Amino acid sequence: MKMSMAAKKRREGYTFILPGFIYMLVVLGYPLIYNFVLSFRNVNVKTFKGGTDVFVGLSNYIELFHNETFLMVFKNTFIFTIGCLVVQFTIGFIFALFFSKKFTLAGPIRGMILVGYMMPMSVTALLGKNMFDVSSGVINDLFMKIGLINAPVEWLLNGSTAMIAIIAVNCWVGIPFNMLLLTSGLTGISTEIYESAEVDGANPFQRFLYITLPLMKPAILSVLMLGFIYTFKAFDLMFVMTSGGPLNSTDVLGTYAYTLSFKQYEFSLGSTAAIILFACLFIVGLFYLRLISKEDD
Amino acid sequence: MAGKVKITSSKEKRRNLINCVIAVIVAILFLFPIYWILAMSFKSDAESFGKLVTYYPHNFTLEPWIKNFQDAEFLSSLKNSICIAFLSMVISLVFGIPAAYGMGRYKVPGRKVFLLTFLVTQMLPASLMLTPMYLIFNKLHLLGTYLGPSLAIASGSVPFIVVTLRPYFKSVPTSLDDAARIDGCGVFRSFFKIMIPAIKTGVITVVVISFLGGWNDLAYSMTFNVKPDMRPLTANIYKFQSKYGTKWNCIMAYGAILVLPVILLFVFLQKYIVGGLTAGAVKE
Repeated sequence: MKMSMAAKKRREGYTFILPGFIYMLVVLGYPLIYNFVLSFRNVNVKTFKGGTDVFVGLSNYIELFHNETFLMVFKNTFIFTIGCLVVQFTIGFIFALFFSKKFTLAGPIRGMILVGYMMPMSVTALLGKNMFDVSSGVINDLFMKIGLINAPVEWLLNGSTAMIAIIAVNCWVGIPFNMLLLTSGLTGISTEIYESAEVDGANPFQRFLYITLPLMKPAILSVLMLGFIYTFKAFDLMFVMTSGGPLNSTDVLGTYAYTLSFKQYEFSLGSTAAIILFACLFIVGLFYLRLISKEDD
Repeated sequence: MAGKVKITSSKEKRRNLINCVIAVIVAILFLFPIYWILAMSFKSDAESFGKLVTYYPHNFTLEPWIKNFQDAEFLSSLKNSICIAFLSMVISLVFGIPAAYGMGRYKVPGRKVFLLTFLVTQMLPASLMLTPMYLIFNKLHLLGTYLGPSLAIASGSVPFIVVTLRPYFKSVPTSLDDAARIDGCGVFRSFFKIMIPAIKTGVITVVVISFLGGWNDLAYSMTFNVKPDMRPLTANIYKFQSKYGTKWNCIMAYGAILVLPVILLFVFLQKYIVGGLTAGAVKE
């Protein structure tokens, strides 16, 4: 029997695509569904071993939203994310504009400052822990030398300063990444538009406001949404730098879900916290997908 | 006339210089932490936790590095790091590259669903997968192995590879594989012999980034491999922190060893890495 050309092509296509697709369904799809199932049951270390877990409806969700620590963690996650987004987007944008100018060192230095983005986050966190140390930390020493503070700050020993330190370390990674993504948006704008605006007498500020910003809108939106998604799910940074402390003040949904599952062995509560994390990402993710799917085929 | 040109060019020269100076300051600020991890790692014990902060090693010593490399636990963690990074990279490439090719070159029914799946899964956080995977791997006896974390890590790299390489495959002119077919090349032969070499740049990018995905992983390896002897360097950071206490020089040498391959890859393959990061994340 002879297959038609189109059918043969289709079979070829599936031969290439399906292994990868099925891999994702099995390794990621199945656990994802299982996670939902877990969040409606009472699986902990005892019931898991005995296989005696039962369906409990929404009680895990209700329990978490009545738990003060969880509510604090939920709030922390937003404070961390929004803090990081504001700083890394603003500075990242300024850097993108600056490094898109034509000068000798623009290219090499723009590339160089990206190295932090490739480092293991656990090492970055370790470095942060050292640099923000009270007595032997370089941040306190530098700040005192330039007169920014009079006495050493106990950065990681109290809640609000620990959050600032965590955000600062995350921005060290986030700023170059935002810069990179925004740069690729900037290079898409043709220089002719700027030249003709200059001829028409627009000053640099007006050119930024009326040309750069509107034309960059899609890139800006996607950077903000991607930034939200990547920041909201932070885990390694807090885990190594502060272990969520002091007193849960730098605990976020990712680390708290881990604590519930693997320190308290309440697997169902851990999955429930993770599902709540997922729900927040999902909402932003939908907007992001709508934005980028406009481009396709 | 000539004078005017000269003035603007010297003005431009000055502007160029000012911009360069600003850029160097930015670079110093951003690279300082990298310098710091190295500087700390060459300090003596007393200097590294003393109250007096020194900005370069006053008593330069290789001791912290030697101490790490003489430590059997360190060496086994290093081995675990390498094994997990390689295994997860191989799995990612085997499943990812063909899928990217299929998505880029064939208009099969359901391709929108496939693409959406890869885009969505790329954004899923590790912390979401930890609990269900742990319980599933427990039943499959995959806890305490290299395969467990590697499978999980690859589930993040496969969609990255598909999203990054698909446009590369799309951009290869069809005449190239048509010619190969006429010459009697089978589908798979032309995939390996023609297509992969044609998008070498993209392939290097995904090889490097999926290797680093495994090398940098903390969450999966730490959760699935509870015993330190199967954990990679990233996951044993804790153990070494408590082992060395306040000996920051040894801890930083440990961190420096983890960062070194990243810096080397970055220095030699920078254009591939940077290009790949943008391609995967933003599309105009």
